[in-house]
Amino acid sequence: MADIKKVAVIGAGVMGAGIAAHVANAGVPVVLLDIVATDSPNRNAIAEGAVGRMLNADPAPFMGKAAARLVSAGNIEDHLGGLAACDWIVEAVVERLDIKQSLYAKIEAVRKPGSVVSSNTSTIPLATLVQGLPERFAQDFVITHFFNPPRYMRLLEVVGGAMTRPEALETVSRFADISLGKSVVRCKDRPGFIANRLGVYWLQAAVVEAVDAGLDIEDVDAIVGRPMGIPKTGVFGLLDLVGLDLMPHVNASLAAALPADDPFHALNRPLPLVQKMIADGHTGRKGKGGFYRVNRARNKARESIDLATGEYRATRKADVEAVTSMGHTLTRLLDHDSTFGTYAWRVLGQTLSYAGALVGDAADGIAAIDEAMRLGYNWKFGPFELIDQIGVDWLTAKLEATGLPVPAILKIAAGRPFYRVEDGRRQVLGLDGTYGDLVRPAGTVMLADIKLCRQPVLKNGSAALWDIGDGVACFEFTSKMNALDPDIMDLLITSIRRVNTDFKALVIYNEGSNFSVGANLGLAIFAANIAAWAEIETMVAAGQAAYKALKYAPFPVVGAPSGMALGGGCEILLHCDAVQAHAETYMGLVEVGVGLLPAWGGCKEMLTRWSSLGCLPKGPMPAIGKAFELISRATMAKSAAEAKEELFLRPGDGITMNRYRLLADAKAKALQLAVDYVAPEPPAPLALPGPSGKAALDMAVAGFQRQGKATVHDGVVSGAVAEVLTGGDTDLIATVDEDGLYQLERERFMRLVRHPGTLARVEHMLMTGKPLRN
Amino acid sequence: MKKVVVAGYARSPFTPAKKGELASVRPDEVAAQVVRALVARTGIPADDIEDLILGCACPEGEQGFNVSRLISLMAGLPRALGAMTVNRFCGSSMSAVHIAAGAIQMGAGDAFICAGVESMSRVPMMGFNPLPHPGFAAEMPAAYMGMGDTAENVAAKWEISRVEQEGFALRSHRRAAAAQAAGKFADEIVAITGKTGNVSADGCIRPETTLQSLAELKPAFNATGSVTAGTSSPLTDGAAAVLVCSEDYARRHNLDMLAAIRSIAVCGCDPEIMGIGPVGSSLKALSRAGLEAGQLDVVELNEAFASQSIACIRELGLDPARVNIDGGAIALGHPLGATGARIVGKAASLLKREGGTFALATQCIGGGQGIATVLEAV
Repeated sequence: MADIKKVAVIGAGVMGAGIAAHVANAGVPVVLLDIVATDSPNRNAIAEGAVGRMLNADPAPFMGKAAARLVSAGNIEDHLGGLAACDWIVEAVVERLDIKQSLYAKIEAVRKPGSVVSSNTSTIPLATLVQGLPERFAQDFVITHFFNPPRYMRLLEVVGGAMTRPEALETVSRFADISLGKSVVRCKDRPGFIANRLGVYWLQAAVVEAVDAGLDIEDVDAIVGRPMGIPKTGVFGLLDLVGLDLMPHVNASLAAALPADDPFHALNRPLPLVQKMIADGHTGRKGKGGFYRVNRARNKARESIDLATGEYRATRKADVEAVTSMGHTLTRLLDHDSTFGTYAWRVLGQTLSYAGALVGDAADGIAAIDEAMRLGYNWKFGPFELIDQIGVDWLTAKLEATGLPVPAILKIAAGRPFYRVEDGRRQVLGLDGTYGDLVRPAGTVMLADIKLCRQPVLKNGSAALWDIGDGVACFEFTSKMNALDPDIMDLLITSIRRVNTDFKALVIYNEGSNFSVGANLGLAIFAANIAAWAEIETMVAAGQAAYKALKYAPFPVVGAPSGMALGGGCEILLHCDAVQAHAETYMGLVEVGVGLLPAWGGCKEMLTRWSSLGCLPKGPMPAIGKAFELISRATMAKSAAEAKEELFLRPGDGITMNRYRLLADAKAKALQLAVDYVAPEPPAPLALPGPSGKAALDMAVAGFQRQGKATVHDGVVSGAVAEVLTGGDTDLIATVDEDGLYQLERERFMRLVRHPGTLARVEHMLMTGKPLRN
Repeated sequence: MKKVVVAGYARSPFTPAKKGELASVRPDEVAAQVVRALVARTGIPADDIEDLILGCACPEGEQGFNVSRLISLMAGLPRALGAMTVNRFCGSSMSAVHIAAGAIQMGAGDAFICAGVESMSRVPMMGFNPLPHPGFAAEMPAAYMGMGDTAENVAAKWEISRVEQEGFALRSHRRAAAAQAAGKFADEIVAITGKTGNVSADGCIRPETTLQSLAELKPAFNATGSVTAGTSSPLTDGAAAVLVCSEDYARRHNLDMLAAIRSIAVCGCDPEIMGIGPVGSSLKALSRAGLEAGQLDVVELNEAFASQSIACIRELGLDPARVNIDGGAIALGHPLGATGARIVGKAASLLKREGGTFALATQCIGGGQGIATVLEAV
């Protein structure tokens, strides 16, 4: 199979530019072309402008500085020849068949044999796109449908045509999986593929039924949001996010492409309210507000559209008894005897019925549909997982009772669940009525799968140790939010002993949405409130001891984070021999936000790293200054690539693009390190400047305070951080070793934790989830 | 006593630190090109030069070692020359001129190149390893006070409003932009060859600046203060050099004499109002010259900040119309070590161009000092 070493993206709109940026995130050079700018002397202005905008966009399309340098912007007249060097050419231009086809002819004239061409179309069938084009083109052509924003949305829908070479499909799918980190879902060449076909139907059902039932949008979003495992933006918040003006276009193109008997047509009727909102410029967050808006004229008051009158009114808190009383039982909501219960059923009943109808039509099996909705629309559960929750029989009966179509797959299931676990293997129901194993792509290991067939080696209330095969153990946090607590430190120490006797290597990994956002603050504040200072110091010391034991263990330890790894969650990674990080890892020592400092070796590790790996000018202050800046400003790296720039990760640490491949990659790294493994030597003691260095940092902080950028308590906390990083009372002619730094961290932490300003910060964080600026 | 003259002036373009075109060029490289050009332009036989005296406010990193010697060698000057690096912060290269003047009068040489350089992109303002004396810093914080804070103190003490500062800054930009448009910097600027090609134009001047755009800026140093980035000189990269020699020597070699050095002075002041330093030093130098401020035709007063410039103009009773007529450091930039050579060279050139009799070049210095040079037409 051919490798993809260079990529071209044509069309520098939001999707094209975002795709190009993400290819660059994978470390692959990419050419981004658009038409020649007519209103600028710079012929590349359109593509260059798109790259420029992405450099300042938030959330950032680029993962790091190096990625941005891999994109070269140009235009399709002067740089078309450059396509000859590309292995994959992505077309992401306007959704017009004539424009796409004339571009394909140009591409076909220059591209090299074996290269793959794909379209990011969301509406035009593949068969139509390749009509009239040479056979060679059709053989190398696929549809790759990305979701917005391409860096963050993990779904990639891929469609092959009747003439598409299997290797072309496989080459692109493999690159998308391994290099771009996408979950590739094969779709049939049907309108809207899977996610938008079902997602647009669901949105339309939710809006139309809400208008018909005369509901308030707050109530609607409360009903279709959390109870159904859908992001809390619900329906109207989501439409505001994507833009209302898109609705009529998407609906029209779907309606035009779907057969006359598709249930979508029944829901697709014009909504005068939405038409008026679009005409008035109320197109959502990008416009003058949408269903929700912040009214600046009224002191930034939150306002909502009244679906009946079309006028804005003050946003109110949703209070739907049908939701508050449902507990964890979705059927109770769907059966609730109220307008709300009826609405919930109308929306979900129609959506699940339609999802059932898509099996065999848009997708070969139910797993693809569930994956598409989880990753393309951020649903917590796919439609068939939802059906399993409410029961196939229950749903079938209710559909029949309410006169909605019962799809064939429900009859095939005949009361059985769509998913089951058999002999420790996850299985899924097929169209033939039999269960088959859910097979993950080669090279993928999930801890969730391992847990189905094994018992943990060790376990307590907050963590577990698993045998993941080949002599590698996996340490998993299981506490709420993966918060770090004394139980975790205890099990870590026990695990180190066990791994030493029974395993070759250890991986620290979990499948929570965040690796760990740090220590359990509730415990700390509880201890502080009863003045249990000795207990707090014991917690600090136990954490230091556990992390230090991890660092010097006689076997390799590989950390494998995904999502946020903050505070103590970052510090444990700093003590691993190596890290294999998911690309979307957000690392930072953010303790100052709650008035504390990193005391589980975080200050020490960052100082040591910047001193030895930082490529900084000589003398003690550059490394101290860098560590001080990162810690005192609670800097969070917003990708694994950025974490490398800040030395939260070391140059040799690995990055895995696909979340599903993280554990396998970490395990491979651990096994590689296990060959002739020798534990690290302690770092050379550091010559630190003591009070002279602290005086310099204090001056900088005082400047920030005068500028209004640092608060009074920031000064206190920064002062303590400065003391640790400059070595306390040391002198330039002396040195401070690792234990000396641990001790400084512990002492200064204990001083801060007793400070009323710090306690106020911790309490505020626990109450509101937001930092207190005192 | 031997009369000392300024017989040549050259400088690199001044470009904004980090984002300007000189950010990617090493400071020793910039200064060497300026020195080489000065020698070539003046036509002085290089073997006659006694010493290269070079000012630099943060002489470390790429501008560390004895960078003056390295610049001399890089510029291709004869190895027989001497070279020293001088540090008086912002007054460094004006001190270089003063050292040369004194040496000439001592009979310790006839011709000196007095230069200055600063890359504020490549060497941070307090150096890489600021290590203040902790006890002394606690006892006298003003000794280490940031320059912006001293500018706020001057603004408060002399009651200089934000609007007045902005009016001053606007005028600096207007004058510099007009001078640039009229080609008045062409004679002094040496195009610098860098990694990305030739750099030939100043980069800090903002012709589009308005009172309104200045009014929109946030205070830069104190949330409740009046000094903004717009009323401060920008962090800048650049180098400047003047040829200082005895009048006899200049005449003998037919050099183009711009002005004679009439008197010089330094003086200290309270560190927390360092911006007022030019007042004491200028009064001293004027008194040594037997002159009064009213007799000055040309004044180059370094605009570290608008607030301190206005305070000095007011205290010295200077005619604003004669101060910085081609714009000052707020518009042109202030590469610390290079500024002294620039304003001595500029004042001398203006004296000749404008046809006046007396000129003053003066500047404030971090830590609480002022330095001044009085020039007279030859």
